[in-house]
Amino acid sequence: MRNYTVFLKKEIFEYTKTYKLLIMLMVFAVFGITNPLMAKLLPEILGSLMADSISMSLPEATAFDAWTQFFKNATQMGLIVMTILFSSILSWELSKGTLIIMLTKGLSRTVVILSKYTCMVLVWTTSIALCFGLTYGYTVYLFPGDLTVNLLFSTFCLWLFGVFLLAVLLFAATLTKSNYGCLLITGTAIVVCMLVNIIPATHRYNPISLATDNLGLVTNSIEVSSLYCPILISCLLSLFLVVLSVLIFRKKQL
Amino acid sequence: MDLAILKEYLPFLIPLVAAQVALGITALVHVLRHPHYRFGNKVMWALIVMFVQIIGSVVYFAFGRGEE
Amino acid sequence: MMGILEVNQLFKHFGNYEVLSGLDMDVPEHSIFGFVGQNGAGKTTTMKIVLGLLKPDSGSVTVCGEKVAYGETKTNRSIGFLPDVPEFYGYMRPLEYLKLCGEITGLTKARTKLKSEELLSLVGLKDEKKKISGFSRGMKQRLGIAQALLNEPKLLICDEPTSALDPIGRKEILDILLAVKGKTTVVFSTHILSDVERVCDRIAVLHKGRLTLHGTLSEIKERHRHNGFILEFGSLEEASLFENAEELRQPAISLSRSGNSVTALVADHNVGGHFLLSVLSQKQIVPLKFAAMEPTLESLFMEAVQ
Repeated sequence: MRNYTVFLKKEIFEYTKTYKLLIMLMVFAVFGITNPLMAKLLPEILGSLMADSISMSLPEATAFDAWTQFFKNATQMGLIVMTILFSSILSWELSKGTLIIMLTKGLSRTVVILSKYTCMVLVWTTSIALCFGLTYGYTVYLFPGDLTVNLLFSTFCLWLFGVFLLAVLLFAATLTKSNYGCLLITGTAIVVCMLVNIIPATHRYNPISLATDNLGLVTNSIEVSSLYCPILISCLLSLFLVVLSVLIFRKKQL
Repeated sequence: MDLAILKEYLPFLIPLVAAQVALGITALVHVLRHPHYRFGNKVMWALIVMFVQIIGSVVYFAFGRGEE
Repeated sequence: MMGILEVNQLFKHFGNYEVLSGLDMDVPEHSIFGFVGQNGAGKTTTMKIVLGLLKPDSGSVTVCGEKVAYGETKTNRSIGFLPDVPEFYGYMRPLEYLKLCGEITGLTKARTKLKSEELLSLVGLKDEKKKISGFSRGMKQRLGIAQALLNEPKLLICDEPTSALDPIGRKEILDILLAVKGKTTVVFSTHILSDVERVCDRIAVLHKGRLTLHGTLSEIKERHRHNGFILEFGSLEEASLFENAEELRQPAISLSRSGNSVTALVADHNVGGHFLLSVLSQKQIVPLKFAAMEPTLESLFMEAVQ
């Protein structure tokens, strides 16, 4: 347990020193600001592009448009950036051999996996909180009075999907030796989730619903209760994948 | 876009530009001070992190930077 | 003497290639144990099994009386390990790195600080404030030793600590190993025989997956001594006079001459030696040198890996 905090501290230190934390925060901060701005500017830009002769009334931008941007940017770009950044979480230490010394110093392999996962989740949580905060603040400033529902719950779903994605990533990292292999497995897993999602019956159980239903939640077109099942499944799957990663890594020949 | 609109959006643009520039400059400094890359060369990476906003820096730190 | 590291009937293969085939090894306490073998003989594999990083096909390893378990092993707490190419977190400074190591092995803060400073001055990195990423190969090797000794291990395992270094760097590392002798037992693998001769008191030669030669250096030399003498003469005439002496024409003695020196192999060290001396005094020749033949480590090694 004491080693867990020590190694977690080392991981956080490493993320600051290798600029990974900075990149995550900057990327999510930029998204956070861009979301409401794009929502506000898009109709105006479109309007200025159109010739004066064609008069067409564009719908007034609302807070909903800002949140559309938030859930699109954060889900797509944000998760991709995060996956790329964390893909070398184990391969870098294993290929360089830095972890060998730590392990021979009596660091348990379970602790390595758990603290690495914790650190990734911490960085992800901070990043999405920052992004959410900025989008929220600027949306309130730009579109005062507009109300949105289920905002926190919807963001929680997105956050949980990120946690699930990180568990997949961790599992992929213990299976392969290179970060490209890790990216490939993680990507494949997500594509499989998307393909399965084509069958409507599976939608209620698929973790990817957590990242696709966010807008529906905000517009109230999707019931909150319909997501309870994916939430439970994502939690269980994440837990299962982390435990499996620990078991695999404990038996891995280094 | 005229000046008035620009002024209206200043509270957005300043932090936005600040974040992008901060990221770009950090990456640029790193590119110039650590002249070892997994692939590519100094000029290429310097141009990428300066002109491809955000993604350029991300790609550099994730793939381009060499071993310490 | 208690064996600090005992290896019993170790087998390990990679694919079709059998690296270790029934390796037995016993390292007594307070020795510097030279683990010699050609490249690819299985030295690193053996060490990784001892550290619980690789899984043996069969056989067991005991460190300080405790069995090594693959994967998670408690025995690593009494081992310090220096990999062949030690790599550290490049963004740290030496003191920060040792602090991390100390926290992981469970030393107290004060103890870590004290030990780190002591060890950094032992390995000559005391005033190094650079980040580790800027370190040279030799500096990393020395930091590796400091790191390995931090928790005062009973057993220090070094994987080819000198192979990649220049002569000065090598000497420094060997001196450090000599300095820690007595406090800990050192096992180091190498293929540089002069290093072994300089610091080791015990050696083991690994060949084809098992030890073909092991024991203390003097023991081995004693065991493999050919009963023979080397005589060096002042002139060619004296040498040939001695070589052609009638008295020496007997089956128990064989002679060979090259230039001024004559090598005489005899059946018994004492009897043969006395006889050679008596012949010399009979012929009234005083040799420049009269020495018993010592086997060189190189010849022993060549013999062991035949």
